Amino acid sequence: MAARSALKAVLVDLSGTLHIEDAAVPGAQEALKRLRGASVMVRFVTNTTKESKQDLLERLKKLEFDISEDEIFTSLTAARNLVEQKQVRPMLLVDDRALPDFREIQTSDPNAVVIGLAPEHFHYQILNQAFRLLLDGAPLIAIHKARYYKRKDGLALGPGPFVTALEYATDTKATVVGKPEKTFFLEALRGTGCKPEEAIMIGDDCRDDVGGAQNVGMLGILVKTGKYRAADEEKINPPPYLTCESFPHAVDHILQRLL
Amino acid sequence: MPAARRPEAGGAGSGMAALGFAFGSGSAAALQAVGGSGRPSEAGEGDVEAGPGESRGGGGLRADWHLSGPDPRHVHGVLSAAPRLPRAARGPLASVRGRVGPLLGTAALASSPGSPTTALTVAKLKRSRLKVRFCTNESQKSLEYLVGLLRGLGFDISEGDVTAPAPATCLILKERGLRPHLLISDGIRSEFDQIDTTNPNCVVMADAGEGFSYQNMNKAFQVLMELENPVLISLGKGRYYKETSGLMLDIGAYVKALEYACGIEAEVVGKPSPEFFKSALREMGVEAHQAIMIGDDIEGDIGGAQRCGMRALQVRTGKFR
Repeated sequence: MAARSALKAVLVDLSGTLHIEDAAVPGAQEALKRLRGASVMVRFVTNTTKESKQDLLERLKKLEFDISEDEIFTSLTAARNLVEQKQVRPMLLVDDRALPDFREIQTSDPNAVVIGLAPEHFHYQILNQAFRLLLDGAPLIAIHKARYYKRKDGLALGPGPFVTALEYATDTKATVVGKPEKTFFLEALRGTGCKPEEAIMIGDDCRDDVGGAQNVGMLGILVKTGKYRAADEEKINPPPYLTCESFPHAVDHILQRLL
Repeated sequence: MPAARRPEAGGAGSGMAALGFAFGSGSAAALQAVGGSGRPSEAGEGDVEAGPGESRGGGGLRADWHLSGPDPRHVHGVLSAAPRLPRAARGPLASVRGRVGPLLGTAALASSPGSPTTALTVAKLKRSRLKVRFCTNESQKSLEYLVGLLRGLGFDISEGDVTAPAPATCLILKERGLRPHLLISDGIRSEFDQIDTTNPNCVVMADAGEGFSYQNMNKAFQVLMELENPVLISLGKGRYYKETSGLMLDIGAYVKALEYACGIEAEVVGKPSPEFFKSALREMGVEAHQAIMIGDDIEGDIGGAQRCGMRALQVRTGKFR
């Protein structure tokens, strides 16, 4: 491996890596404390379309993780940043619970479309409104493009199919802001002052976490918790920098080998 | 001014029996098909321009000809043949205006959509030696309803003159022993009366309009995901179409959504599927090179027909942008 800069930042995925639903990954809180004892910056990055930062924070605090709100970077944050950067007024097709992350964003007389997971908005009239805005040149910003997700009553359509529908109808491409997009990882690092070569990502999704991070020049560690399935590490090329049992093992590796 | 430019003599050096057209001026019905001689008639004066069209729309498609005019009302070269119907019940004239349907035939006349000359033009065409057929992707209303509406507007048209996707789909379902889960509007449900829909082993989607709710889309998605070999049949795959209130998302967007979600590709019955054009040609008993398609959709009408070996003429009305 080529010589790398000293490690200065660690990005950590949340769901599946630190916790699985309402249970912490065993030893994860302690491991996080150990990591904080080292001289690295820690950021928590996640693809969420319906949980605001506040929701995430509350859940993590309940699980006794030592995390502050400004350390969390989500796909909703990324969307908001892009909206601010483009200075547009978005039509927000997002879950109501996600709206706090767009507080103070101007949404009247929209000239952009932000689309997340919002089944209550995915119907003919609303999609047609979005379609017409796009035809008028409004940018389409997708939180992510997941095909479907699992609900208690079975599989359910994710935002991806509806993003694809609008892309097809308007012959445009959405800007996807969540993992595994390069801009997501770069934005997450902004504010840490670190370069990708100085950062490492820990996550349970081989493509979205590890592949995405490695694509921008970071190292990636795949943990075998959460959505991990046997042989996931073979899904990307180059393979993960490291595949290990769980978050605590990843932290140990960093502390012993990379600092 | 020479308003109509003569098109290049048709690509594949075809032995086209009869094709050519000219434009009159002013308000007279203008675009005229000439049978037999193989020579286009003289171009007349008028507002209308026909010429090799620039490409427009997906895939760099290019129409053989475009019809246009500085003012759409001066386009007297458009046959409003078998329009898709508006979603909401509107005045019939308003509904047809701006929604130019395609005509499939060995040549065509046309007129301003919704104007009285349109109906006269169709009548004139039907008296000619040219065979005329109407080719629609309408999948929200039954054929009976569509034809009734057009007759009400003065068009001389019967159900037997129209190639439409619902009857074609029913044939396919029967041939292949498929029992569909139907994602369709109530307006076209009667077309599927004879189809067994118990224990579905495929999904058929038509333009469901308001029926494209998350819940209904999800139901179709779940049916597909439970099938070992998911079959999705869509009646058309248009991106959008025009209504009086503006452009509307068409079925294609929703087809794409299910394709993406399930990682499959839909079988399209209707334009631009070659099978659909071929069945229309068979009905007329003419070869592709002897026929021309007129329509407003660069992909569905123009691209589809051209890929079949027909010539195609795009009108700058309806959804044309």
